[in-house]
Amino acid sequence: MIYGAISGGLYALLALGFTLIYGVSGLVNLAHGSFYMLGTYMFVFFGTFGFFVPDPMLASILALIVAVIVVGAVASITYRLTIHPVIGDEVAVLVVTVCLAIIFQQLMLLWFGASFPRVSWPAGSVLLESTSIMGVTLEYSRIFAFVFSLVLFASLLVFVTKTKIGKAMRAVSQDREVAMLMGINTERLYMLTMFLSAVLAALAGILITTSIEKFAGPWLWLQPLALSFSIVILGGLGSIKGSLLGGFIIAFAEKTVEIMVPEGGGIVGVVPLAVIIVVLIVRPKGLFGKRVEMEE
Amino acid sequence: MHLLEVNNLTKSFGGLTAIRNVSFHIDEGEMVGIIGPNGSGKTTLFNLISGFLEPDSGNVTFKGENINGLAPYRIVNKGIARTFQVVRPFRHLPVIANVMVALKSPRGARKIEWIKTMERKAAEILEDVGLSGVMLEPAGNVGHGDLKRLEIAKALATEPDLLMLDEPFGGLNPLETDYLTKSLMRMHLDEPSRGVLIVEHKLYALMKIVERVIVLHMGEKIAEGKPEEIAKNEKVIEVYMGKAT
Amino acid sequence: MVIGHLRRAYSSFAAHVFDIPPRLMAFLFLMILLLVPATGLGPYYLSIVIYANVVAILAASWDLLVGRTGQISLGHAIFFGIGGYSSALLFKYYALPIWVTIPIAVVIGSLAALLLGFPCLRVKGPYLALVTMAFPLIISSAVNWSPVVDISGGEFGIRGLPGFFPFLPILQQRAAEYYLTLVLLFVSSVLIYKTANSKTGIVFMSILDDELASKACGINVTRYKLLSFMISGLFGTLAGCVQAHLLKVANPPMFELTISFLPIIVTFLGGIGTIYGPIVGAYIYAILDRYVLTDLLPRILRDNFQVMFLPSGYNFAKLLVFTLIVLILVIKWPRGVSRFTTDKLEDLEEARDLDERGPRIWKRYKKRKSSTAT
Repeated sequence: MIYGAISGGLYALLALGFTLIYGVSGLVNLAHGSFYMLGTYMFVFFGTFGFFVPDPMLASILALIVAVIVVGAVASITYRLTIHPVIGDEVAVLVVTVCLAIIFQQLMLLWFGASFPRVSWPAGSVLLESTSIMGVTLEYSRIFAFVFSLVLFASLLVFVTKTKIGKAMRAVSQDREVAMLMGINTERLYMLTMFLSAVLAALAGILITTSIEKFAGPWLWLQPLALSFSIVILGGLGSIKGSLLGGFIIAFAEKTVEIMVPEGGGIVGVVPLAVIIVVLIVRPKGLFGKRVEMEE
Repeated sequence: MHLLEVNNLTKSFGGLTAIRNVSFHIDEGEMVGIIGPNGSGKTTLFNLISGFLEPDSGNVTFKGENINGLAPYRIVNKGIARTFQVVRPFRHLPVIANVMVALKSPRGARKIEWIKTMERKAAEILEDVGLSGVMLEPAGNVGHGDLKRLEIAKALATEPDLLMLDEPFGGLNPLETDYLTKSLMRMHLDEPSRGVLIVEHKLYALMKIVERVIVLHMGEKIAEGKPEEIAKNEKVIEVYMGKAT
Repeated sequence: MVIGHLRRAYSSFAAHVFDIPPRLMAFLFLMILLLVPATGLGPYYLSIVIYANVVAILAASWDLLVGRTGQISLGHAIFFGIGGYSSALLFKYYALPIWVTIPIAVVIGSLAALLLGFPCLRVKGPYLALVTMAFPLIISSAVNWSPVVDISGGEFGIRGLPGFFPFLPILQQRAAEYYLTLVLLFVSSVLIYKTANSKTGIVFMSILDDELASKACGINVTRYKLLSFMISGLFGTLAGCVQAHLLKVANPPMFELTISFLPIIVTFLGGIGTIYGPIVGAYIYAILDRYVLTDLLPRILRDNFQVMFLPSGYNFAKLLVFTLIVLILVIKWPRGVSRFTTDKLEDLEEARDLDERGPRIWKRYKKRKSSTAT
């Protein structure tokens, strides 16, 4: 139960990135899960750097920051080169983003090989220990991840509502043409949104992997993608509240399946996918859907 | 029994009431026009009758049967056909295939057996509306005036008992307008029992064809009567010419 | 640009110089295909073209659903896998011979397609793409689920399936398999093509163009969508069954995303909405992937450049390079990928019309463009 709550926050973070890019630019990014995966790999990679800092924990934090920024930058540049040219055509966008996802997967395979690198905070870190709350053993890393994600959510909310850029994003998500007329440079805004979206995914990737999964793999983008998509569908495309709520619901659903279904662990991956199908049959716009499939 | 009966129809979208308590009826063989300024709810009314929208309250009865909530294709097969204000052709299909789609519907296919006969029937319909010249062109390449006629051809293909035209004169030049007016009148003579409901902006064209006019304003029916009466109706003039309200 | 020029040059060449009607061309192509085994190629090379045939069937089935009815499918691998596994399970538990299991499996596949079609009815665009992508993911997860691993064979799948011509020696076996798959491909293509050009096919196209208008013509769009799903599923399943028996195994990779991607790449390479498109594309793909990259290139590197050992990542790089190519193609010619870019085409045409109607306007526009560009 508690695990569910913690995961929920993290899942929500992941989904947030996905819904962000969709809400602002109408872009369904099938490579979103790839950014999750890239984040974990970059964390491992930069984790070996040391950064001339004596404390390994601090080095890890720095690695996290650098990794996340790198992934964001890669995403932004890739977006500009590959997705932006085809942004009008929904189908082409899908094909392009899937291609990107496969390419990233193969690149990671080539770079790191087929082994599964361990992703965790450095040994001896306080985060590796656990504590007991309400009878449940919790590693500090999970608590850290959870708190971090909530902080991030809050700061994102502030960013979107108060800052100029955030307002620009909201403007564009509501009406692209009018926003353009108002002088907002949509192209750069999209790149920025992409950056942000990837950063969120990468963060989610690192946080989740360090606290729960512990291992990275080049194929680890499909599941996060399915998760993002199902949370966003459940909560409603383009809705931040929806992603938050959806994240928790899916996390709880997963935990429930894991516990109650015999050998549930193996089939847990199916939960988000099944949710997608059920939601689309029953209530296609989700809980707080913004873009509705409408009859004209 | 009226061909079409609309009783106390109401439809809102969020806070906006598009149609409020509208009632009227059409009998067999009548040609009725609906006019009103932009935003008065004319197309919403069409959508409600043809099944693309469901009313919040009130009902629509066709040939004695309540058709509320029926799927659009069902309503077509019961005998109501409509055109769209902004033409919706099947751009990748040749013009004749556009009509054949409608002929493939259960109602359209009633008297057809083989594909040859279907093509012939489609060709006949196209001839009736004056589109024989572009029969084999992909609909995406055809000009606007022809597309308007294609809309009507598709609607006619299902042999409707009630034909609903949404701004059929939209975007037509005077020559085309004249041609369409004559075509509609001829169709009326050919099928005297068919009811026709026309929404239109071009009043002079409409007034010549229809026997009765209904005026909508802000979702409500504000007047109904013969074209000459409506033209003199104060309320109608006010609504169209605008008064300091 | 280059390919466009080449294509145009080729078609005008063929049309004017040789004046070959398309029927004759198709006939010639067919003749070439029929004579392939006679060229004395070894079993490995024959297996390449066999694979091409199977992929072509899958691609043709996909094209009906996506290119003709407009229901985008990113999960066609589901039919491939259902075909393979159904046939395999029928063999495993009922020991039925091949020519019984395959028809039954195909029927199962069609019914499954019908079922899978339901969630897809009300959604379109990206939603639909993801729903279809979800299907094979779900099944491949389920296949690895512990309670059913005994039945499904888990990671390794169901092995030991009978081949088509076990009594023949290898070379003849491959040749026979080639002809078999060729016949199946031919039959499938003809059937699909005929469906696409029938009255029903016209209705399919109307759904692609404008679902709403189709409904307004009295068409029960739901029924037609499901029909399209079923037919597509039928042939997709066929491809899967055949492949399973060719490789003698049905396993989880049959549900992989790369398999779902094959029809897209293949049809794009060959030409969407045509009868020969999937076939040509499949052959290009199979030859490119299995011969050029796997056989020819390493051999050239080895013989001419003394590259003895390929870096261990070569296999990974293959997929990478391939996807990269696809990516570039898609970006440069999105209308090759989908018919949904009619807007772009219309813009182009409008620009061309402007050129005819108003050469002065166009020149002024161009001049303005080039001056702002500098």
